[in-house]
Amino acid sequence: MIGNPNVGKSVIFNNLIPGARQHVGNWPGKTVEKKEGKCIHKGIELKIVDLPGTYSLTSRAVDELISRNYIIEEKPEVIVDIVDASNIERNLYLTLLLLELEANLVIALNMFDIAENKGYKIDVKKLSEQLSVPIVPTVATTKEGMEELKDEIIKAAIRKGSIKTKITYGEKIEDLINSIVKIIKKDETLAKNYPLRWMAIKLLEKDEEILEKIRNSKYHHELMEVIS
Amino acid sequence: MKAREVLGDDPEIVLADERYNLIHTILDTTLVRGAKKWAQSDMLDKVFLHKYLGIPVFLTLAWAMFQFAFDVSAPFMKMIGLFFGLLAEASRGIPNEVLASFLSDGIFGGLGFILTFIPLIFSLFFAIAILEDSGYLARAAFIMDKFMFKLGLHGRSFIPMLLGFGCNVPAMMATRSIESEKDRLITLLINPFISCSARLPVYILIAGAFFGSMASTAIWSMYFLGIVLAILLALLLRKTVLRGEPTPFIMELPLYKTPTFHGSVIHMWDRGVQFLKKAGTYLLVGAIILWFLSSFPWGVAQESVELSYTGQIGHALEPIFRPLGFDWRIVSSLIFGFMAKEIVVESLGIIYAVEGEAAIAGALVVDYTPLIGFALMAFILLYIPCLATVGTMRKESGSWKWTIFQVVLSLVLAYLIGLTITGIGGMLGYT
Repeated sequence: MIGNPNVGKSVIFNNLIPGARQHVGNWPGKTVEKKEGKCIHKGIELKIVDLPGTYSLTSRAVDELISRNYIIEEKPEVIVDIVDASNIERNLYLTLLLLELEANLVIALNMFDIAENKGYKIDVKKLSEQLSVPIVPTVATTKEGMEELKDEIIKAAIRKGSIKTKITYGEKIEDLINSIVKIIKKDETLAKNYPLRWMAIKLLEKDEEILEKIRNSKYHHELMEVIS
Repeated sequence: MKAREVLGDDPEIVLADERYNLIHTILDTTLVRGAKKWAQSDMLDKVFLHKYLGIPVFLTLAWAMFQFAFDVSAPFMKMIGLFFGLLAEASRGIPNEVLASFLSDGIFGGLGFILTFIPLIFSLFFAIAILEDSGYLARAAFIMDKFMFKLGLHGRSFIPMLLGFGCNVPAMMATRSIESEKDRLITLLINPFISCSARLPVYILIAGAFFGSMASTAIWSMYFLGIVLAILLALLLRKTVLRGEPTPFIMELPLYKTPTFHGSVIHMWDRGVQFLKKAGTYLLVGAIILWFLSSFPWGVAQESVELSYTGQIGHALEPIFRPLGFDWRIVSSLIFGFMAKEIVVESLGIIYAVEGEAAIAGALVVDYTPLIGFALMAFILLYIPCLATVGTMRKESGSWKWTIFQVVLSLVLAYLIGLTITGIGGMLGYT
């Protein structure tokens, strides 16, 4: 479970998992709090981990690193992205980053009531089609949409990976991404550990952690040619 | 192909733009922004974030929070105290003397004493949870940021500092809302210098004994000294071991919400339980060690505290503390004070073999001068607040290195300030 700060993520977490069944600890070696727990929905056990609330997924802040490394390394079956419907524009930024990471997403469009009060009319179906991601409108404080959310989580886990979202940016940047992907593909160890397109984007952004990963690659020089 | 040349700008910025372009394209067909109806939050912010009203409103709410926490917790604290008192009394009857002493003095007397603070810690957490869930706490941080930034700190450091006046343990746990590790560490390191409520009874006793009608001024000066040192230390740490600028204040102000009782209780419980777990581990070990030091060598220690290990350590350390005017009695009681500051009063009573605060005060006036009394108050303010804060520091910083740094720092600082007080006092002709 991931989302920007103040989107009602922990309220949804508490709704899904009763307090007594939550396990609170720290992320290994970090002082950032880690909450996880299990619940059963329609006979299926869901194990849910609450990732730190972040606006983006750079390697510059501890909590952002924790979130993204968890997604890359632990490969959770489904990522539930909690989006504040009343601030949808800014919240979708993280959604795009998660799609870049090729996460198997389900969006909880939370604070739907506040968005409506604000006068927002969101075409949920169309939004879901454009992103190729299932979207459940929710109001965490009144527990609206919780059952539907659990349904969608299970559905997403079952069809895992069969729907590929293709988001593309401008032509120039896509050309650059493709040429970097071609070089990374040549290095087998790199290619098998990370989503290629994501890695290319992070290299363009000069993400320190990813730069470190390619340091020992045979193709380091070739990659640096493009990105520097 | 060179990324920068092709794009004509930093790729990171171009990518961020591209993402927002895509979001706009998507929202153009899926979102209709109607007329804004909801303005309640903005109206509240007109008051809470008001240029002049903001701070008085905040101080009033903070005062109400403390008032609530102290009032609600007082009867429960008394009950827990009585409960452990009864247990201690009952276990004194155990035939095996060592076991009886271990249970009554070490476990029920020592650990039980720390546990009496649980109602205060829980009710402070509850009050904080309400302020947090309502959305106000983020505003409070915002209001105080300008002031805190000047001190090399972050707006979010203010709440932990404020909480420190109640109890340093929840205060240090509240630093979790500070995102930058450096900002957080500085806030953790300086927090124990904020005078917690447990230090007040010690101040009252000593100031009452030595300063008569000036007692309240002496007490006030301790609070002031703690705040000034905390600020200076924050600035110093910024310039030395934790070099750097405080992170700029970027914080989202959430919409105001009515906090739910259930939600606030969960918040309080989550944090409070962590304190309880610590009490079961670090604090239990600490209590046992202190009990051992004050009860052994078995037999002689029971005859006179002076002969116990604590008394022996007090004697051994006396030369170091002589410049401050402290003798072995004070040094021993300071060692007991590691457990919790109020114990200093209790152990002075034991050492002087007198009961009641008036009798302890009377004994102090005979042996020490007001100058030494003042130095003692400062020392008590500054040296390690208690075992619980050391445990909390370890837990929150995740490092023994910083925990030890804090312990050593506070001891050195306490000594130097004590020395300065007696030094300046001496020059002015006081003894």
